[in-house]
Amino acid sequence: MAVMKFLCDTKRCIECNGCVTACSNSNSEALVWGIQRRRVVTLKEGEPGEASISVACMHCTDAPCMAVCPANCFYRTDDGIVLHNKATCIGCGYCFYACPFGAPQFPQKTSFGSRGKMDKCTYCAGGPVPDFSKEEVELYGANRIAEGKLPLCAEMCSTKALLAGDAEVISSIYRQRVAARSNPNVIWGYDPQTAADFK
Amino acid sequence: MMIKSLRRLLTLLVVLMSVSVVMPSYAANEQTSQQMANAEQSTADMWRAVKAGEVGTTAATEVEAGVLINTFGNEGKIIKNDYINPAMMAVVVGVFSIFLIFFLVNGPSKLTKGFSGKMVLRWSRADVILHWGMAISCFALILTGLTIMLGRHIIQPFIGHEAWAFIIHFCKTVHDWVGPVFFVFWAICVLKWMPRQTFKSYDLKWFLVAGGYINFGPFKGKHPHSGYANAGEKMWFWSLAIFGLFICTTGLMLVFPGLALPREVAMIAVLVHGVSAIVIIGFTIVHIWMATALSEGGLECMKSGYCDENWAIQHHDIWYDEIKANGSLKYQD
Repeated sequence: MAVMKFLCDTKRCIECNGCVTACSNSNSEALVWGIQRRRVVTLKEGEPGEASISVACMHCTDAPCMAVCPANCFYRTDDGIVLHNKATCIGCGYCFYACPFGAPQFPQKTSFGSRGKMDKCTYCAGGPVPDFSKEEVELYGANRIAEGKLPLCAEMCSTKALLAGDAEVISSIYRQRVAARSNPNVIWGYDPQTAADFK
Repeated sequence: MMIKSLRRLLTLLVVLMSVSVVMPSYAANEQTSQQMANAEQSTADMWRAVKAGEVGTTAATEVEAGVLINTFGNEGKIIKNDYINPAMMAVVVGVFSIFLIFFLVNGPSKLTKGFSGKMVLRWSRADVILHWGMAISCFALILTGLTIMLGRHIIQPFIGHEAWAFIIHFCKTVHDWVGPVFFVFWAICVLKWMPRQTFKSYDLKWFLVAGGYINFGPFKGKHPHSGYANAGEKMWFWSLAIFGLFICTTGLMLVFPGLALPREVAMIAVLVHGVSAIVIIGFTIVHIWMATALSEGGLECMKSGYCDENWAIQHHDIWYDEIKANGSLKYQD
């Protein structure tokens, strides 16, 4: 059984925000104004050691959102993807407080600015309603997993920094990359340390 | 502008309430930044900084979008799930059972001279209305709050999905809308009743004989002195005043997402809200037991506003002597 994960290779991410755009495009029917399921954060921008990381729901194996939800609306698919049921979600915001990655978001469209149903990355795996139904597209967005495809953000990553897939597979890809790059200055002619020369 | 200053005020309040919860993560930050300063630039250091909550730049605009990892909320979740939720369960079941057993063993506290039939004015009409306004809203909040806190463990496993979705949604909506109603009643009651609730020296003696409610052993037949409110009622009042302030403040913070509070502050608010609820619910169970079952003639005070003269003499002798002496004693027509 697969355990689907995202992995972002910080040595490859060039902060093009293509994954963000791909996500918004793939799930456009489900995303209301102000919701952005994926974001790219750049650390030490313009300084030595600059690194960009694309982040969305990490589909935790021990998900805090799932544990804290008063409505118990989260569930984990056979592929280890953490999804939630918007019919049960009460918009209390606890998952947003508990999530380390800031993945859950809430549309503010009701009176007094109260929260609507929570929205987050579904790993392009839809929701608890029938696959490819109108309801699924409107509430949860794409269901590429049911089509046998990976999330669009990773599929469209121009530098293949963002990897999606079974944890075993993507971590072995990443391991091969690290081995090929080696440590800084160990292999002649290749120093992966971004902007380290300017230190 | 108002929302902004309100947000700042609320943030400050909650930070003051719970500085101790924040300290560990602050220490972790400092340690990490020291490691950062000493170490060479490396991937390990970068990830350590990310885990410690380093803020980067991003095009995303939601709250704290620049923070990649914030572990505080997960720690709060552990406190909530492992300590606060079980404590709530223990308090609801425990306090109720203890009082049930005590009542079955002890029996009610009867009036030693029986009912006199003469009714003395104790609560004004306004007081009675305020009391029931607060009581009904509080009770609605307790039932819906308990469902929100423990429902997924004690209700959801036994019912269908649709029914559960309806119940939890109903409870959340009621909790949101009744909360401000309770806040208003609570604020008026606390301010109006506070002058009669200051502790006096005879209140200590009230505790020493457990209020005179025990019908066996050395405490049997004891009737300690008490003013308008006895020491137990004063304790209830001040608990409700203090934890009511906490629960109302944190409740208002949580119900307005427009405040866009930082996640740490919101999580602390959830925890403070839960702890305050435990205290208030514990006292509420005791209060209802005392009024309905344990103290004979006690419930009458909040039905009509009048109490039996013998009840006043037995349970609130200092108050009775005082109103008799200054002529403010008023009988029911």
